[in-house]
Amino acid sequence: MVQRLGSLYRALFHRRRFEEAMAEEMRFHLAQYTEDLVRAGVPPAEAARRARLEFGSLDNAKDDCRQARGLRLADALSRDARHAVRLLRKTPGFTVTALATLALCLGANLAIFAVVDSVLLRPLPFPESDRLVSIFNTYPKAGVPNDGISITNYYERRGHIPALSSLAIYREITSIVGERGATAREYASLVSPEFFATVGLGPVMGRTFTDTETSYTTNSVAILSDAFWRQRLNADPQVLGRTIRVNGQATTVVGVLPAEFSYLSSKARIYFPLASGPGQRLPTERHSGSAGQMIARLAPGVTVAEAQAQIDAQNTALEAKSGDKGKEMAAAGFRSMVVPLHADHVASIRPTVLLMQAGAALLLLIGAVNLVNLLLIRASGQLKDLAVRQAIGASRHHVVSQVLVETTVLTAIGGLLGLLVGAGGIRLLMVLGADQLPLGTHIAFDARLAIIAMTGAIVMGLAIGLPIIWYNLRAHAASSLQLESRTSTAGRVAQRVRHAFVIAQMAIAFVLLASAGLLALSLRQALATAPGFQPQQVVTGQISLPGQSYPNPASGVAFTSRLMDALKRQPGVATAGFADNIPLSGRSNKSAATIKGRAPRPGEAPRGHYSYSVGGEYFAAMGFALREGRFLTPDDNGRPERVCVVDDDFARYYWPKGGAIGQQLFEGSVAGKDSEAYTIVGIVGAARQAGLTDDTAQGAIYYPYVQRPQSGMFLVVRGVPGQAESLGLTLQRVVRGLDPDLPVNDVQSMDTRVSDSLIARRSPALLAIAFAVIAMLLTAIGTYGVLSYAVSQRRREIGLRMALGARPEQVRSQFLTLALRLLAVGIAVGLTGAWLTGRAMQTLLFHVPSVHTGTLVATAAIMSIVCLIACLLPSQRAARISPMEALTDQ
Amino acid sequence: MGTKSAELLPGTLDMLILKAVSLAPLHGYGVLLRIRQISGNALDIPQGSLYPALYRLEHQGLIAAEWGQSDNNRRAKFYTLTTAGRKRLREETAGWNRLASAIGSALSTAPDEV
Repeated sequence: MVQRLGSLYRALFHRRRFEEAMAEEMRFHLAQYTEDLVRAGVPPAEAARRARLEFGSLDNAKDDCRQARGLRLADALSRDARHAVRLLRKTPGFTVTALATLALCLGANLAIFAVVDSVLLRPLPFPESDRLVSIFNTYPKAGVPNDGISITNYYERRGHIPALSSLAIYREITSIVGERGATAREYASLVSPEFFATVGLGPVMGRTFTDTETSYTTNSVAILSDAFWRQRLNADPQVLGRTIRVNGQATTVVGVLPAEFSYLSSKARIYFPLASGPGQRLPTERHSGSAGQMIARLAPGVTVAEAQAQIDAQNTALEAKSGDKGKEMAAAGFRSMVVPLHADHVASIRPTVLLMQAGAALLLLIGAVNLVNLLLIRASGQLKDLAVRQAIGASRHHVVSQVLVETTVLTAIGGLLGLLVGAGGIRLLMVLGADQLPLGTHIAFDARLAIIAMTGAIVMGLAIGLPIIWYNLRAHAASSLQLESRTSTAGRVAQRVRHAFVIAQMAIAFVLLASAGLLALSLRQALATAPGFQPQQVVTGQISLPGQSYPNPASGVAFTSRLMDALKRQPGVATAGFADNIPLSGRSNKSAATIKGRAPRPGEAPRGHYSYSVGGEYFAAMGFALREGRFLTPDDNGRPERVCVVDDDFARYYWPKGGAIGQQLFEGSVAGKDSEAYTIVGIVGAARQAGLTDDTAQGAIYYPYVQRPQSGMFLVVRGVPGQAESLGLTLQRVVRGLDPDLPVNDVQSMDTRVSDSLIARRSPALLAIAFAVIAMLLTAIGTYGVLSYAVSQRRREIGLRMALGARPEQVRSQFLTLALRLLAVGIAVGLTGAWLTGRAMQTLLFHVPSVHTGTLVATAAIMSIVCLIACLLPSQRAARISPMEALTDQ
Repeated sequence: MGTKSAELLPGTLDMLILKAVSLAPLHGYGVLLRIRQISGNALDIPQGSLYPALYRLEHQGLIAAEWGQSDNNRRAKFYTLTTAGRKRLREETAGWNRLASAIGSALSTAPDEV
């Protein structure tokens, strides 16, 4: 086989050499034979004649030789291809339209498929990655769907769940790395020792962490990513054992990861051991989630369900020993979920990505239908040509192969152009935020995608060739001359097919437009949602106080109060505050609270409330509305009295009739001593924490920072209107002025955070609108093409009617009526489709019903206008046909 | 030419070419002469069908071709047998012998032997 392909390849690609060699070989044969005949006494002229005669036809022999090489089929194909290219060049209008359609439709599909491929299809870059699972605690009845995992969970499960061959936890953090004065904040990950063994890919140089490195006194070791090693340490080959400064502390490098190491969407460039103290590993800390994320590798042959059963059994056994606390957690619906790692990681964007792919596929369908219609019209124009070729002996086989070659040549060229459009499309998707999707950084345009795209293009070429073949063979069967009389059944069936295709196009375009409308309306609703704070003129940034420089809460409080004073003195700064978390940060710290003197309602589960530690003028800086009482002030951080502020969701939940001010609450799910109670001194408006479109009224509690100090915090600075441009720089300068080793990270205006939080809605809406616009355009082209053809086909009839006294308006209205009939059916089918799609998209909509009358009416109106404009030109042309011309024509 | 020449059975041309080439490298015209010679001038192959057969065998990898000098110093394409060709020739020869002896014994059967 290989031998034969090689021989065909040489014959094909060194065709001239092949032909010359063959001719020379036969010339030699004739010369030799002639010589032999002369030697035998035949006169030279007679000898040459006899040699020729006995050899037979040279051309036949050569042709047989070519066939022996498999060249005949290749020759036929290339002849058909040349014919196809000639045809395409003869009709540039058709060719440009077809290629533009193909390039757009295939390119759009390629770009979206690149996302689907890297996000949903391609396995994670780890060995047997389908055995990797994620495990997290959930308290659905408390409104906390995912609470991460606790250190206790890790130590209790490690080595005790037979279904798991390996188990690890990790937490994403940022660290300050570098020498004094040259520090930079780096994304980092804290991982348990078996993290790398669990994912199945570890350091190429050095070692992983050991169990002895998981205490706070022994954790000053680091494993570097390849990027960090190259960029910050100049790829030092002697790096093992070298020390780097992390948060001011000397840390020893023990390993370097391979360049291809990429864990989900983690940006970590440096890894440290996840340390914990003995107190954090106690059973009482089992529900102190947010210690990190847990991943595990299933033992060979074990299913997720088996692992889930073993985790459930262990949880039940352990919780039975913790008495009231266990019952309370059970009431909150506590469970530890085992889910496949990849699927879980991309679960949130899966519907959106699939919806976009469906949109692109519909676009491709419209494009294909368009092509088929244009090709059918062209084929009917070539019927005479076909009849002639048939008459001179073209076989059915030949008719089929010629059509297929033509359509595949077309789609292959379209596919090549589509690769360009697709590559541009992928860039565009990146700008639209695709790189921020889970696994979005893995999106790339590679040879694999190009091959898939080209295969798709060729399959499409074969598929759109089928209706044309069907049409041509029908014409082949019926006498073509008869067909020319335009009354035969084949002609009428072909017309009906063309009309059905136009209707299908209109219906699909209708669905795309209506869906785009729903997504756009959802986006508008989301944009119109009041976030609960005033993002204008607010700049935020993150700092993290390293334990080495700020060993106790008092030093942290002292630093923040100096920082707030310094910030407020800056020109352009109206006010400043800070908090351990801010709305739309992408994080949510929820914890339970217990109201003093309040018995839970029967069956009521404990609720997780957003809990914040705030300082400075946080509320004023963020622009919260004060409903009742007062805000927390800087003074609250300097006084021992325990006070707090809640939001109106919280107040309404516990005191629907009012009277929250003055009430007391405890942090956590159990009432403590009276001295630990916080008195509510104010109620503020609720803010959208998880996103503008998150409607759950979970309730929030704001504690003074001094009562709940955290090392990481967001600084919030409100500028004076008109002078807010350089606030970010001011913020960084002031912090560096106070502590040169403390970088400010993630500096962004609150407006940007609000706008970025909507990227998951804005980008799909924009894409859907783009798809809908292209779909409308294609439908207009399709409608125009079919109507134009109908007019040209009936020129003689129209001419005759006009000659007999028909008025141009009558002719025009005849074609407009046809267009309106098609449009009416198209819209009716489209309405049904839009209704079904709307229901399928329900989860992606925000405050918009899946069947939205306004959208449907507007869609129908736009469709009608576009299609009528497309019909107007051909109808107009029909009305202007001159009777004489039409009748003498042809 | 001259003596009686036998009709070539279908499928035997390839076998004869392989045999001719197995004796020594030959150009196309040489193959023709060699077959005539080794068959005692009994077999004469149609010249027009020689080259398609050569090309087919080369395409199948049973013979290999190389340009060289003919006896009278002309450029000619010489064919040699490949390993695959040698194997094929052995199989075909064995198959032919079985067939020939079977047909021979069938045709020489006398009436009383039935």
